[in-house]
Amino acid sequence: MAEKRRSGGGTVMPDSKSVKSESDKEFLSQAGVGVLLRDALLKLVEARSEDPIGFLAEHFSNLASESESGPVGGGGGDGGEPQENTVEEQQQLSRALWHLSLAHHSQRSAFNNNIRLAYDLLTQCGSIQRVPGGVQGRIYTEMLQCLCSEGGLSGTTAAPLLRRIRCHDYEAVPFELFRQGVQTCTAFADYIRKSQCLYAAVASRPERPAERSLCRAVLATLEEALDTSHGADSARFLEASAKISPAKLAQAMADVRGAGEQQEGPTMDAREFEDAAAALFIARVRVVI
Amino acid sequence: MKMNADRFTLPTDDYLAETNALFYLSDAVTQLLEHREEYTQFGIVRYFAEYFTSVKNGNHVLFREFSYIKATPHNRASFIHIFWKCYRQIGKNGDLLTVLEYSSLLQLLCPDFPAEVVQNTARIVLMDDAMDCLMSLSDFIYSFQIQFYYEEFLESVLVIYEDLLEGKNPNTVIVPTSSSAEPLSSTASEDMDTQEGVDSFVFLECIKGLCERFKHKHPSISAIKEVLEGNPRVSYYSFLMALAKHEGISQDIGALPNRSDLLMDPEMDQELERLVAQVAISPTSNSSSSAAGLKEPPKKASPRKSLHQRRRIEMESDGSTEETDSSEN
Repeated sequence: MAEKRRSGGGTVMPDSKSVKSESDKEFLSQAGVGVLLRDALLKLVEARSEDPIGFLAEHFSNLASESESGPVGGGGGDGGEPQENTVEEQQQLSRALWHLSLAHHSQRSAFNNNIRLAYDLLTQCGSIQRVPGGVQGRIYTEMLQCLCSEGGLSGTTAAPLLRRIRCHDYEAVPFELFRQGVQTCTAFADYIRKSQCLYAAVASRPERPAERSLCRAVLATLEEALDTSHGADSARFLEASAKISPAKLAQAMADVRGAGEQQEGPTMDAREFEDAAAALFIARVRVVI
Repeated sequence: MKMNADRFTLPTDDYLAETNALFYLSDAVTQLLEHREEYTQFGIVRYFAEYFTSVKNGNHVLFREFSYIKATPHNRASFIHIFWKCYRQIGKNGDLLTVLEYSSLLQLLCPDFPAEVVQNTARIVLMDDAMDCLMSLSDFIYSFQIQFYYEEFLESVLVIYEDLLEGKNPNTVIVPTSSSAEPLSSTASEDMDTQEGVDSFVFLECIKGLCERFKHKHPSISAIKEVLEGNPRVSYYSFLMALAKHEGISQDIGALPNRSDLLMDPEMDQELERLVAQVAISPTSNSSSSAAGLKEPPKKASPRKSLHQRRRIEMESDGSTEETDSSEN
């Protein structure tokens, strides 16, 4: 404190510029501004936010509220009232979700970094005693729910997936599981969006539901693509994308058309198609115990 | 301020350059150093948070120096927006103001706002004629937007325009068209001389070349094309006027609503009445001193006096119109 005051007084008294810039530097390093800005820039460059100014505003606000509320969960020992805890928990949760929303999951390294940040944030919150091995199961499950609804999934679509990957409240979620859970949810949300587009394409006219036989053909193609044989990841990706290529899909649909002639067959509505597509995905989510 | 998806493939330096993030960070540090006592008490991290929140919301340019206001496209748009927010009431009252008065209004928001920009704006509104005429706020503000936001671009357009007027063709690519047009113009040269302006098509081609050099800092080429297509010949100021009136360009800048909505915003009315009252009362008492300290030499001696008289009359009439408004309600 005394030092700070001295340097502050120093700027007022002498007018010479060299002294001023010297004390400026001193002030900045004492206040930790250099470190603060370097961290912010690194985060920005890593996230490559679409709206950099908004990103910096959010980043500094988060930091400020963190430092103002003190280390979360630590503070008053067992004096922490349950209500306060949940408020803090919600703050941490929304901060974690904000980090996760910064980069699309296809931006692998940026996304993984953000998962790490979210994980670190969430391990710090929870009840009075922290769970040693990671994020509390209850918070983890809640976060996955939020991720799904932020991804535009309806409750009913997300529910089967969440049932599959959720944890018990008392469990501790280690990082690897946490990462996979997050990736599964974000990928699932994307997948459902894509399948909705697929249905719209099959239906061809928005006011009429799609033909059942065509939908079946598309879903079968989709299933086949998801069931790629074993082998290296990259090879499987290539194989899958070949199997779901527009040409393949068109062929599958043409085959059905050729067989069924031009009759007005039974139809399938968007909901059913989405559920069927979701089931294909969820069936391939392995549960780790 | 939004960026497109290829930001992930840009090199780091390019990404940062495109975002102006470094500009704002360094300004934030400069401000911090200037007011260190205050901000250290406030909390330095909180200060940075507030700084960037205000940049995001666009109220960071209020009362800042001109060089800052001009520094980024976002700052320019924010300033135009603030100008509109603060003085919309003038337009509502239907008051007409002179160049000098608009200049003073701008200087209330930015103390060193140069009169030159205001004069250039007036040239657009008044088509470079009768410069002491009165202007309505809506005429002024859209022209001001074009002048202030695209200043550098307009300067270069003026150079092109003057070259074309002198018969020089700054764009070598279109020499064939102009040479084929030459025999025509020689026969009709007397008409041409009396006619204002330059050939729109040639002008457009030259501006297209200019836009390539200006990267993003120009109105969209399709809008310029629309503006120029209407008339075979165009003068510099009628071109600028048409740009100012083009709603697409205004939407791209995003600082002002459409002309029809310019004065309508019932939500803001109440708050603004209070704000404008504050702005109108406190700075007019200073303006007698600040007007005396204006950097630019007043072109005529008389407008300055009339400015004060007018201002006083306005204040009174302001009050009276508000009274009549409220009595009507």
